[in-house]
Amino acid sequence: MLTVKNLVKQYGELVAVEDVSFEASAGAVFGLLGPNGAGKSTTINCISGLLQPTSGHVAVAGFDVLRESRKAKQSLGIVPQELALYEDLPAVDNLRYWGRAYGLRGNELEARVAEVLTTIGLGDRAKDLPKTFSGGMKRRLNFGCGIVHRPPVMLLDEPTVGVDPQSRERLFELVEAERKNGTCIVYTTHYMAEAERLCDSVAIIDHGKLIAQGSVAELRAQLGARDVLQLLGRFPAGPSKEAVSSLAKQSGLDIEVIAQEENSLTLTLSAASQHLPAVFQALSNAGGSVSETSLRSPNLETLFLLLTGKELRE
Amino acid sequence: MDFIWASVNKDLARWRQDFTAVLLWLSIPLIIGGLITSLVDGNGGAKPQGVLLIADQDDTFLSGFVASAYSQGELGELISVEKTTVEAGTDSINAGEASGFLVIPEGFTDALLNSEPVTLTLKTNPSQTILPGIIRNVTDVLLDGGFYLNQIFGSEIDLILDTDLDGQSNDQKVAAIAAAIQKKIDAAAPLLLPPAIEITIADPPPEKPSVPVALLFLPGIILMAVMFSSNGLAGDYWTERENGTLRRLVYAPGRLTAFLAGKALAAGVIIAMISALTLIIGFVYHDIAWSKLLPSLVWVTASGIALFAWFGALQMLASTQRAANLLTAMLLFPLLMLGGSFFPMAALPNWFAAIGRLTPNGFVVDRLTAELTAASAWTIDPQSWGVILLMAVSGLGICAWRLQTSFARN
Repeated sequence: MLTVKNLVKQYGELVAVEDVSFEASAGAVFGLLGPNGAGKSTTINCISGLLQPTSGHVAVAGFDVLRESRKAKQSLGIVPQELALYEDLPAVDNLRYWGRAYGLRGNELEARVAEVLTTIGLGDRAKDLPKTFSGGMKRRLNFGCGIVHRPPVMLLDEPTVGVDPQSRERLFELVEAERKNGTCIVYTTHYMAEAERLCDSVAIIDHGKLIAQGSVAELRAQLGARDVLQLLGRFPAGPSKEAVSSLAKQSGLDIEVIAQEENSLTLTLSAASQHLPAVFQALSNAGGSVSETSLRSPNLETLFLLLTGKELRE
Repeated sequence: MDFIWASVNKDLARWRQDFTAVLLWLSIPLIIGGLITSLVDGNGGAKPQGVLLIADQDDTFLSGFVASAYSQGELGELISVEKTTVEAGTDSINAGEASGFLVIPEGFTDALLNSEPVTLTLKTNPSQTILPGIIRNVTDVLLDGGFYLNQIFGSEIDLILDTDLDGQSNDQKVAAIAAAIQKKIDAAAPLLLPPAIEITIADPPPEKPSVPVALLFLPGIILMAVMFSSNGLAGDYWTERENGTLRRLVYAPGRLTAFLAGKALAAGVIIAMISALTLIIGFVYHDIAWSKLLPSLVWVTASGIALFAWFGALQMLASTQRAANLLTAMLLFPLLMLGGSFFPMAALPNWFAAIGRLTPNGFVVDRLTAELTAASAWTIDPQSWGVILLMAVSGLGICAWRLQTSFARN
């Protein structure tokens, strides 16, 4: 339903998106994950036609976004990160206006607007101005404006940023309902928990490059059963790494250093809680000291840490 | 086409929510126009009028002549002369109830005829500036005139004053006085006639019907309302951008041109409403022929759309909303000043008015003035309509280009 092939977007010397390729299918949610500035929004903007790719190919519902721009745009529904509403126009008129922008008319338009108002739970507030709405209600209306023309492909660009938990849950329900309707959804986020809950498949992007791609289960499998152990304290660069290597050899532990700085050390190992004393002892022998410990079980966030050596929200 | 109407409806519905702004665009020029019109009074303006109190203690023919001189001709429209006594006059002038108080002392005529010194006392009201000045100047002129009159016709004036005009034998005296005066004129004639200047009498050009001053202000005031509204309406591009709706529009398939056309039409509707109201007030007040209402309204509305297009282009060329507002404000007031909104073109120096007519609003004001003051309706030439059309199309073209390239995408 959505094909992105070898997409490159360059601004002079700066490569914002480098050779990104993925496919998203109908009736599924495709998550595009990455920290701020990773290239998610640039990718989304190239798909939506807001930016012209430097090279590569993007097709929405089979229509090339450059050569068949009108048809591609007609097939696309976008829910931007920032609200895009007329706050001084009643909710129902917002939906009508965007419906007409996508070519809906007459009875078809009115029926669809009524349907969307019910879907987003604003039927009883249809004639009210969005400026009188809560943040969550505005988010729902923003979502409604993106789906009013029944697009086969939807782009949701970080739709839950700054949204309270209750409204976030309501948005998840809306996304799931659209998936059930057979819509292909591309969902960008830097919240891995959201991706794990909603997405059927995921691509992780960092510095403009895709660093991992697959179903959530497949990506988890890349971590194996290993936990991520993050230590804060003092860790002499060479000796600490050597101590971890020796420990792996001597005790046969599946332990690996992901990232090291002067005051922090990040490791992955299986059954970490059982081996903590041995790890502390080895680091202490190497001249290090541990002041704080955090242990995380395998998830997309720890996978990102494993792949990039940094936290997702950095 | 459907999306054009959708955009028109959308903008009109939004402006209904912000009706205060529309009222402000309308009320500022109406207040200014009302003040200007009340100052110049629609029919050429009211002249100031003052009271000159005269205590004539001499009560002779000459003192009466001096007193009556203040109420002659156009001076009489400015100054109302009232006779009084010294005491009452002093009280009135001290109470600020008159512009001036003149005391003609007893013996004034004798002193004048005998070329003896005499003092006329003139007290003026210090709280007034114009009328006391006029009274002072007129008094100076009268006294100078009296001096020269006495030098030339002193003996004849003596004779007039000594004559009892009721008597039967006075025909001889009158004839003698007339003969003496004629003799002096004949004696002076070789020195004065023929005059040293040659006079060519030319037929004056046919006089144009005079236009009331307040009517000359009307087109500028209407354009002021149009300028305020078109500038305010153009600011909505930034509101749409801040709302994110422009960006959403770029996602939609090929709707930018329809969006712009809808916005221009919605602006046209609002500008037409404001213009219609100001025009109707002006037509009623100045009793202008109603046949000129439609051409005037169409001209002002079309011009308003053209101005809106250019204000929109300027808004979109600026890098921030603040810069855009600063830029348009910097242009708006000088344009209003140059373009005849504060002072009518007819009251400006020729070189200044020529520059004013080159400004967009001055161009519109000039043609509207011609339309309102012409003998018949629909007098604006096709070239002028063409200029307005070109202006609207070019402004909207720049807006479309800015929307396509970056303004809506950031």
